Amino acid sequence: MCRHVLPTLFLVLLGLPLEVRAAVPAVTGSVTGIDGKGIAGAVVFVQAPAAAPGRDRPGQVVDQVQKTFLPGLLPIVVGTSVRFPNHDQIHHHVYSFSPAKTFELPLYKGEAAPAVLFDKVGVVKIGCNIHDWMSGIILVLPSTHFAVTDAEGRFVLEDLPSGAYTLAAWHELSKVKPEDTSQSVQVGKDPAAVSFRLPLSAARPRPAMHGARAEP
Amino acid sequence: MRWWSRSSLRSRIFVAFSALILTVLLATLGSIQLVVGHQAVRTLGRDLRTTGQVFETMLKERAARLQTNSTLLAGDFALKRVFATHFDPDSYDSDTLASAGLSYRQRAGVQLVWMTDEAGTMLAASPASTRIGQSLAALPPLRQALDGQAAATAIVEVDHKLFQIVAVPVFGPDVIGYLMLGQAIDDSVAALLKQDTHSDVTFLTTARVYASSWSTADRDPLLAALSQPSEDPGTTQQSTQLVEIRGERFLSLVLPVSAHLSLPLHALVQGSYDKALAPLHALQRQIAAVGAVGLLLALMTGIVLSGNMTGPVRSLVAAMHHVLRGNLHHRTHIEGSDELRFLGRSFNEMAAGLEDRERIKATFGRFVSRDVAEAVLSGRIPLAGERLEVSILFQDIRGFTALSEQLEPARLLGLLNQFFTEAVAAVEAEGGMVKQFTGDGVMALFGAPQAQADHAERAVCAALGMVARLADLNAVLRSQGAPSLRIGIGIHTGEVVAGLIGPDERVEYGVVGEAVNLASRIEALTKELAAVILVSNEVATRLGPQFVLGRSALLSVKGRGQPVRVVEVLARSAVEPARSPG
Repeated sequence: MCRHVLPTLFLVLLGLPLEVRAAVPAVTGSVTGIDGKGIAGAVVFVQAPAAAPGRDRPGQVVDQVQKTFLPGLLPIVVGTSVRFPNHDQIHHHVYSFSPAKTFELPLYKGEAAPAVLFDKVGVVKIGCNIHDWMSGIILVLPSTHFAVTDAEGRFVLEDLPSGAYTLAAWHELSKVKPEDTSQSVQVGKDPAAVSFRLPLSAARPRPAMHGARAEP
Repeated sequence: MRWWSRSSLRSRIFVAFSALILTVLLATLGSIQLVVGHQAVRTLGRDLRTTGQVFETMLKERAARLQTNSTLLAGDFALKRVFATHFDPDSYDSDTLASAGLSYRQRAGVQLVWMTDEAGTMLAASPASTRIGQSLAALPPLRQALDGQAAATAIVEVDHKLFQIVAVPVFGPDVIGYLMLGQAIDDSVAALLKQDTHSDVTFLTTARVYASSWSTADRDPLLAALSQPSEDPGTTQQSTQLVEIRGERFLSLVLPVSAHLSLPLHALVQGSYDKALAPLHALQRQIAAVGAVGLLLALMTGIVLSGNMTGPVRSLVAAMHHVLRGNLHHRTHIEGSDELRFLGRSFNEMAAGLEDRERIKATFGRFVSRDVAEAVLSGRIPLAGERLEVSILFQDIRGFTALSEQLEPARLLGLLNQFFTEAVAAVEAEGGMVKQFTGDGVMALFGAPQAQADHAERAVCAALGMVARLADLNAVLRSQGAPSLRIGIGIHTGEVVAGLIGPDERVEYGVVGEAVNLASRIEALTKELAAVILVSNEVATRLGPQFVLGRSALLSVKGRGQPVRVVEVLARSAVEPARSPG
């Protein structure tokens, strides 16, 4: 339940500024499963050309609220620093064993933990050593151009200068690596359309949360 | 049966007694064997099933404990950290992982710790294993754990040993590997079960024994027990059978154990059949002992009783033998007041009766015809003494003195006996009784002891018969060159006293009275008158017309005041009037 609610909430929050800016859509499309149904929470990003490494990228935040990482999925461009503020009244111990970024922020509260720089493209799965059910993903992408699909699996890539691009799609349960989903697209004045089809594996069981949030 | 028909009453009673008691004893023992034995086996079978349940529960608890321990260990951050090193070949440290495994083995008190990556490839093992780097993905319980990414338990064979292994995923925060803990199912487990349930437990397949509470030397019959086909195919896994180990019989229950081996795994649960039956056997021994004493007592009672009963019977049999041999004086002495004493008394009475009969028979047999004797013995003729009218016949051989001097004694007696034979026959032919022999003569009675209305005629007929027979005898004697015999016969009819006369041992039936003397005197008169047959007037008046009478004379008789009339009888005419018999 929560797993579905949170990404949706996140997407709604993410979508607001897009609506306000009323930016020009460059590429639109959808990510569907083998069965043709739209996949929510998939990330479509520009694989090439990769963005030049920049030092002044704005920092991002993965909050910890009620023993949950928020957002659960954070796509960022490589070189981005992420802070992990703890807004619970208890300590957390954030860690990742992912090869893209192995780090550990031992027991802390509030803003005590330093920001972590994600300098390698890849999937970084984060967890909390104290709370087994806390789990989140920081998707470190090669480019600043990416979009997360909505509940129907639709996405919109904006502000993409005209030119040739290679797009790829990622999803947590995808059986196919992103590089194997890549598609070329020519961006001009008119919006281009791209569709991805991802075979998904079954959702994996994870340590249960069972009302744990109600407890301290 | 031949023995039975030939054996004595005593033996039969004895044998019947013994057989009855033995039958009761054996029936008792048999029923006890049936009921108690069945109960004992049922109880034992129930115990074995309980052991099976205990064993199942134990396996489940062990699995649960293993899983708990594994889950706790898998949550250890240090372990996760070490596990995660395999993501990066540069920092992967298999030695550290293996030593962590050793540490966990000790912490959890298990015999086996394996670690795999998230795909099931073995990263480290404690104790050391040759499977490092190999995929265990196909091995239960890891296969189930990989399928469900959740904890799973299975019993498997590792290096020829039986292990209960649990596999749990290690989350970091996704599955970064699997931790497997294994606990051996070995002899100590079987021993522990035996300690708790008092039943022997063995874990085995048809090919090998993995663990057992039995010592290694005693395990050979166990495999055989498993390979024996069950009697009832419907209940293969629950049926019991008897297995002999070291000469002791064990009731064995085969229970299936869920495991992942090439052959089905079984738990063989066994309890001593002989020990279970020991109380029954003790009971049977006691009953047998009590029964034997009872049998002995009963047999002794039987001997005494049968002796009591057959003793008198044997005494009676002995008495019978005496009687058979002619000793009628023998009497039995049976004490008591029962039927046997009554029997003895009856026997004595019978013997006394026989003796009386024999004595009477002896008394009469020599002198009277069988008919007369029977009449006397049957009691139809009173013997106590009575006045009767009878006819008395005296006969004498003439010139016997001269003859006795002339002949050799043997020849003389031969002649006499030849004559007496004829004389007796003549008397008996007329229903008379030869009372006595008087050297050369015969005295005969008619009308006593058997009453005869025509005793006078009978006496005369007998006299005529004698004469006729003598004529025949004389013809024979003459042909042999022997002298002829001549006889005289006197007959008188009168009242006499008749009855048994003489001392006990020599008692005889006889008659006394004047009539007897007169008959004798008349016989003596035959010489004077040169007559053959002379009868008194009392006789003559009783004779029918068929008798031919001769001379008549009135003669004085010695001892009589008045003269007596005598009549000569010559013959009897051929026409015989009807005469009443007897």
